[in-house]
Amino acid sequence: MFGLEQLIIQFLLNFVSVDALNAFLRNPQHTATIVGGLIAVSGALLGSFLLLRGMALTSDAISHTVLLGIVVAFMVMASLFGREPDLSSVWLIVGAAGAGVATVILTEALYRSGLVKQDAALGLAFPLLFALAVILVARYVDDVHLDEDAVMVGEIGVAWADTNSHCLNNCETVTITPTDPRAEFSRQCTNCRNLGISPRDEGAEFVEVCRNCEVYSPAQAWQAGLLRQPPSLVFWPRSITVMAVMTLLTSLFVLLFYKELKLSTFDAGLAAALGFRPTLLNYGLMVMVSLVAVGAFDAVGSILVIAFFIIPPAAAYLLTDRLPRMLLYSALIGVAGTYFGYDLARGSFLGLVQMNDLLAALNALFGLNLPANWDSSISASMVLMIFFFFLLAWIFSPQYGLVSTLLRRRRQTHQFEQQVVLGHIFHHQDRAAESDELVVSTLHQHLRWSPEKTRRLLDQLQARRWVVIAADRVALTPQGQDRVRAFRRTQLARG
Amino acid sequence: MRALSPEDRRVWLLIAGITVIAVLFIPFSQMVLGVRYDYTLRTVALGGALLGVVSGVLGCFAVLRRQSLLGDALSHAALPGVAIAFLLAGRELGILLIGAGLASWVGVHFIQSLTQTTRIKQDAAMGIVLAAWFAAGIALLAYIQGRSDASQAGLDTFIFGQAAAIVESDVRLIAIVGLLALMMLGLFWKEFKLITFDAEFAGANGFRVSVLNMALSTLIVVAIVLGLQLAGVILMVGMLIAPGIAARQWTNKLDQMIMLAAVFGAFAGGTGAIISAVDANIPTGPLIIVVAFGLVLVSITFAPGRGLLWQWLRQRRDRKRFAAQTARRDLYRYATNHGSPTTPVPTTFLEGVGGAAARLGLQQLQHLDQAKMQGSAWVLTPAGIEAAHRDEHNRHLWHMYRQYNDELDLPLVPENQQVDIRQLLPKDAVARLEQKLAGGDR
Repeated sequence: MFGLEQLIIQFLLNFVSVDALNAFLRNPQHTATIVGGLIAVSGALLGSFLLLRGMALTSDAISHTVLLGIVVAFMVMASLFGREPDLSSVWLIVGAAGAGVATVILTEALYRSGLVKQDAALGLAFPLLFALAVILVARYVDDVHLDEDAVMVGEIGVAWADTNSHCLNNCETVTITPTDPRAEFSRQCTNCRNLGISPRDEGAEFVEVCRNCEVYSPAQAWQAGLLRQPPSLVFWPRSITVMAVMTLLTSLFVLLFYKELKLSTFDAGLAAALGFRPTLLNYGLMVMVSLVAVGAFDAVGSILVIAFFIIPPAAAYLLTDRLPRMLLYSALIGVAGTYFGYDLARGSFLGLVQMNDLLAALNALFGLNLPANWDSSISASMVLMIFFFFLLAWIFSPQYGLVSTLLRRRRQTHQFEQQVVLGHIFHHQDRAAESDELVVSTLHQHLRWSPEKTRRLLDQLQARRWVVIAADRVALTPQGQDRVRAFRRTQLARG
Repeated sequence: MRALSPEDRRVWLLIAGITVIAVLFIPFSQMVLGVRYDYTLRTVALGGALLGVVSGVLGCFAVLRRQSLLGDALSHAALPGVAIAFLLAGRELGILLIGAGLASWVGVHFIQSLTQTTRIKQDAAMGIVLAAWFAAGIALLAYIQGRSDASQAGLDTFIFGQAAAIVESDVRLIAIVGLLALMMLGLFWKEFKLITFDAEFAGANGFRVSVLNMALSTLIVVAIVLGLQLAGVILMVGMLIAPGIAARQWTNKLDQMIMLAAVFGAFAGGTGAIISAVDANIPTGPLIIVVAFGLVLVSITFAPGRGLLWQWLRQRRDRKRFAAQTARRDLYRYATNHGSPTTPVPTTFLEGVGGAAARLGLQQLQHLDQAKMQGSAWVLTPAGIEAAHRDEHNRHLWHMYRQYNDELDLPLVPENQQVDIRQLLPKDAVARLEQKLAGGDR
């Protein structure tokens, strides 16, 4: 990880100065957006395939059960090696991937028994694994850094503060040994606690202990004032590296297996027949989902990560029919959501509405007593913005949106009504019943419409010169007759 | 009085058995596990059992309608309702639960309109509601926690559930609201049964399917909301569906399934609460889920006729029963394809095709004098060839049956080519099939 970070920093320093980079990364919004954006990209890539495979809720199940993997990894690490792994440890990732696969295996086993339906199998498997995880946490790992809030919400807002420092220039590690002139000593009583006496009492024994003898990294040395020349340091947030690696792995997975994923998504039978091993691919996909879920665990928590898997692909699914575009759009929607989500948490909705003003307005209008200062969870706000973009897609999508569907239905109804009137006239024109059927003032009775509606349609048709009205009789013009014939031809062609 | 079928008797015995176990469990837990029945434990166990009944019964419908995960989505979706209710009215449990119910209810509507107006499938729609509503809840909770007064403390216990916080009035609330929900269920029993098993038929007969759907979903929301305090939003889905899934294994009748689910739910809720009292560090909600899952495992393993154990035994029996026939068929086909019925067939081929069953079958054939071993190969004896011909003929008759049973107006029997068709069909039916076969239709 450390080496990778150095590579990235070296690359970035080709474009910006050290100070600019530090200033950029120290802004919480930038770091939060980068981490959130990386989660959004990897979630969107994998989630699109999950959505198309009808497995959207598998990400829900897996994101819950990675908790079990994390807890087991914690316990194994703590008992075997006597130390806690941090959230970028390899063992944790292995545990999470194992938990993801365990979820899938348990679900499949329940489903394969033929006694439990697929949705029920999923609904049984993940509460069980999650319940086991909660019991283990409560029973055995009381004092571990795994509190319940972090499980739910994550700490993306403070991601900028958890950094590795990378030194570029003037890198001097300082080692202070007891013989060093800079070493500071203090006296410590060795037997006070055992004997229960105070250091002032008779019989207390003392040793000289060095207070500052250790190895100082350049950053620590500078902070302790041990260096004359300031080292040039870059403070690189750890979450960015973790998520960058996950995103890289996800992108590689999707790129390498794009053809296989596409085929097995749209025609699993054909994929199996051609020897593409869809089951194996499915497990691969699940492992990737688990990896992203555990990587995102620290930043956004185990439940909100589901949103990054499901909502952007669903929005993109409403916007396009092509898989590459769906992948692109869902990634864009996810990234946009994370960027504006940060603002929302700090009280600004797209820069249009200030939440504090809204709260004040609510208080004034309804006489409520809401606290006037909006300050909220960043990761949850990111999800809310993603959801907002989903709503936009649902309402305004050119092809599948509510508005366009409504307009299309209206147009179709209108066309159909016109054709009914034209057809009625065509049918009865120049026949014996003409004098009865084609009288303008009674036409609405034959069509069983209201007089106003009939009148309005006749006016429209007249304006288009498809009918003429003379002496309370309605008749088709030649253009009108052509229109009816054309319509009948298309109907015949349709069969 | 109606006579009980063996299946009915089995279900009633099971219900009685579980009740006895539950009653015996109380002294057992006192003496062996050393649980002390103080006020808290009595309240929690009673609450858990009541909740188990309500959610088990209503969960049956979620399971049968293949909407198991709806419970998951709706329990998460309740959170913003809790937060908004708190903002507007303060920490009053009844109002918080009403808020929770309203939020889930809006979620149900959202799922329904999303699936009706777009091509997004139900599972994705549930995922969207789950994540977005939950995020709204978290955002609101974070906003609430930003304020200075301490009264919001404990609001997030709704996420994980906190059984220890349950008091007598909560149990009373669960009992009353649960009873109302079950009464609603009883009132619309016929309608709910119909839309569960054949929604199209219900629609064609003039039932308002969408209204009934909504009503049933509302009842499920009620069950979820009642359980939030005990099990929390994440585990509520298990509480809802596990008893139903376990009950489904034992019976094919809806009324029996529901009664069983109620008993299972009560058992899981009560014993889960009691076991969790053994150690103060064990949370109640997760333990109830583990017990419920244990019931599911027991059910899918041991349920008579349907369970895995029974499936396995049946397979074993069938393998033994049909081993000779299968081996004879393999022998005969290989031999005729490589010359005549008396051609020796290599043992390696037979065992490669049939595995352990083939070895068993060949032994049985040898015993019947229908095949004998020649070095590393097997040969059919004349008796064996005759038997093989009979088998082939039987298979042809089955083909005829599959093709013409409609045309010849034959009685319906379960198709199994390994069984002699003459034993299943009446004589004249077999005669007609023979005629058809001889008529050269093939």
